Amino acid sequence: MKKTIITAAVTGAWPKKENNPNVPMTPSEIADDVYACWKAGAAIAHLHMRDDDGNGAMDKDKFRETVELIHSRYPDCDIILNLTTSGDILADDEARVAHVKELKPEMASYDCGSMNWLNSGLFINSPTFLENCGKLFQETGTKPEIEAFDPGMIANAAYYLKKGVLKAPLHFQFCMGCANGIPGTLKNLVFMKETMEQLCPGSTWSCFGVGHSAMEMLYGAVALGGNIRVGMEDNVMYAKGQLAQSNAQFVERAKRVIEEYGNQVATPSDAREILGMK
Amino acid sequence: MSWGALYFYYHCPKCGKKFKYASDLMVEFGDEFGQCPECGEMGTYEKDSARTIDDGDYFEVE
Repeated sequence: MKKTIITAAVTGAWPKKENNPNVPMTPSEIADDVYACWKAGAAIAHLHMRDDDGNGAMDKDKFRETVELIHSRYPDCDIILNLTTSGDILADDEARVAHVKELKPEMASYDCGSMNWLNSGLFINSPTFLENCGKLFQETGTKPEIEAFDPGMIANAAYYLKKGVLKAPLHFQFCMGCANGIPGTLKNLVFMKETMEQLCPGSTWSCFGVGHSAMEMLYGAVALGGNIRVGMEDNVMYAKGQLAQSNAQFVERAKRVIEEYGNQVATPSDAREILGMK
Repeated sequence: MSWGALYFYYHCPKCGKKFKYASDLMVEFGDEFGQCPECGEMGTYEKDSARTIDDGDYFEVE
């Protein structure tokens, strides 16, 4: 039976309590949400940190505090921790990887190209940053989660694969429906998958859809043999007019869809095997 | 890193209603994107952003 990996992206860098009071913001809240998502079926937790005003922050100390809280409070939790390297568009290259150097996470995000951010700023992932980041991940034994906001970023990943900055098998996260990225439609998801298969055969993939594309991407991922990311980083609404009660609520829905389709929800151990992390 | 949907925030120059449209629904709404859901008047653009702190003050047209 095919196994499908659920990633929970519990907070991100953007939504605040004013948008949904259930968004976790502090290390303690994030740790509790990660555990609840793991209990609900998530195999991977994608983590961002916030400063004391709730803004996205590449704060090494908060990453460390959160990781330690997860391990100390919940010793039974074997979820794969995936730490962002893109939690603040104003952070410099060093701040973006300081926590990776210290904590050596199992997985971390690798945003494979630059783009305009919300039509108001720049989300810069320079060639120098990507080369250094890829080499660092190899040193720390960190699996890159290659975030691709459009097909060009998949081509960029192929470039770094050929150059040895990235090592096969690659794992992609297709970021669908973000402003200035590829719109979140099923047709576009198929195109992303086919582009990946042409340029980086043997890779694995997951996807998420922000806003109204969330459900289309969930069903599309399962039907096309991919994996799925859900959580309040991408959506604070559970359904039309309905605020999400928790991140676990999203995971529970994804689990239902996966199982109703006839697949099995991957455990963290399964996910490590599927992604070539063992 | 994602940042949720991008919204266009408006108010109606006729009835004053505050409302918003998610940019990913431009295709669905076509020429009606930005119209007041109450009176059909084209809204006055205020700002565009991922959900703002005062997002709850704006009715979501979807």
